Amino acid sequence: MQKTVLIVDDEQGMIEALEDGLVSEGYRVLKAVTAEEALQILKAEHVHLATVDIMLPQGASLEPRIDSHKTGMLLCKTIRQNYPRVDVFCLSVISDYDTISAVQGMGVRFFKKGETPLRTVLDIIRSRLTGIAYSEERDAKRWDR
Amino acid sequence: MYSINDGRESSKDRPHNAEGGGSVSPNGAGLQQALERLQQENTRLRQQLELVKKEQTEYLQNVSHQLVAPLNAIKWHIENLTAGRLNEDRIRKVLRSIYSQSTLAVHLAKNFALMSNLEADHALSALREPLETIDLCRLMVNLADDFQPLGWDRGLSITVADYPLKSAPPVLAIKPLISQVFSNVLENAVKYSEKGSEILISGGHNSQEQTVSVSVSNRGIPLPVPETNRVFDRGYRSPEARNLYPAGTGFGMYIARRIVEIHEGTIEAKNDKSGRVTFTVTLSVSKLEGKTRKRGAKDSTNRR
Repeated sequence: MQKTVLIVDDEQGMIEALEDGLVSEGYRVLKAVTAEEALQILKAEHVHLATVDIMLPQGASLEPRIDSHKTGMLLCKTIRQNYPRVDVFCLSVISDYDTISAVQGMGVRFFKKGETPLRTVLDIIRSRLTGIAYSEERDAKRWDR
Repeated sequence: MYSINDGRESSKDRPHNAEGGGSVSPNGAGLQQALERLQQENTRLRQQLELVKKEQTEYLQNVSHQLVAPLNAIKWHIENLTAGRLNEDRIRKVLRSIYSQSTLAVHLAKNFALMSNLEADHALSALREPLETIDLCRLMVNLADDFQPLGWDRGLSITVADYPLKSAPPVLAIKPLISQVFSNVLENAVKYSEKGSEILISGGHNSQEQTVSVSVSNRGIPLPVPETNRVFDRGYRSPEARNLYPAGTGFGMYIARRIVEIHEGTIEAKNDKSGRVTFTVTLSVSKLEGKTRKRGAKDSTNRR
């Protein structure tokens, strides 16, 4: 069965690159630019995995208003609580240790943009969705090829 | 917002006053008072320095975040290209995207480099780089070409209305600086425009005042009302802007204003009734003639 991945990010270039990678691996890709859009999609669609940016626009009518630097964190929390079957992980440029450890504390894996190759992200997504273990060694070999 | 200049000006004035107080009444009480004043001043300056330091740290983090985003997109795009994950049509689009992401990164890096220089130029109200005659129409067409790819995804179009801007005389200005003013204004317009809307660049010559104006207008989130000028404050971002685009330094329009001020020009921001936002930059054709220091002339910064 085709699995569905939801990308929640507000940077066009990032969304495109990640989408290209995911599509090439055979996933159905949905995209949300704001936390509000993400919640609407989660309500309407059967999503298997979501990647969430930390600094995110909240969306026009989502209440209460919160600091945009925390939107993604709150979204992760909401997904964890309301959609426990959706696998979720963070992809962000933030380097603030408190935020990162708060996210990890929810059991959400954190990847830093700029430091994680797309291949790694794709492999980890695959291992999460198929249950086949991810091997960094195999990853390294791929680069040697 | 505190500007670095506040610190400079007051540090020049206040210790001088305090010294004066000490010498007029050489008794113990007078000295005591002067000492207290100095201590208060010291505390105040230290607090201000802390603020400036904090602001700078935040700015640096912000810039690095904003640089990493387009660079990471470029990296991942290239990964997709080299891994052969894309078809021919997609390859063309991805190359275009790489191009516009690079435009963004370069633009941001330029602003970053300008920040430190500008503060120095402003304190001296001197122009450190040579003036050139600039055809603003041509400059705007080039910038529009540069920024157009960034708007493609959201169906934005950038239009330069040739007439009457084309017939305006050239202005005397520092080219890389003026170009950064307009690219900051354009970057904002692209960033905050509604999907499918048009960004319109127009302008003209005011022969009486001997000035040339260029306006960039777009449909998108309005400027803060009633204080539209707050967009030119150092680090200011409106709540709407913050929510729409959480990443941003709030320095673009500030840098634009500083550069325009160095050129003795004006920059204005307006909301109009039809929901468009317009930034207008007005520069003098010849006001700055003879004001620039010649290349190689002794740098007056040494006096300080």
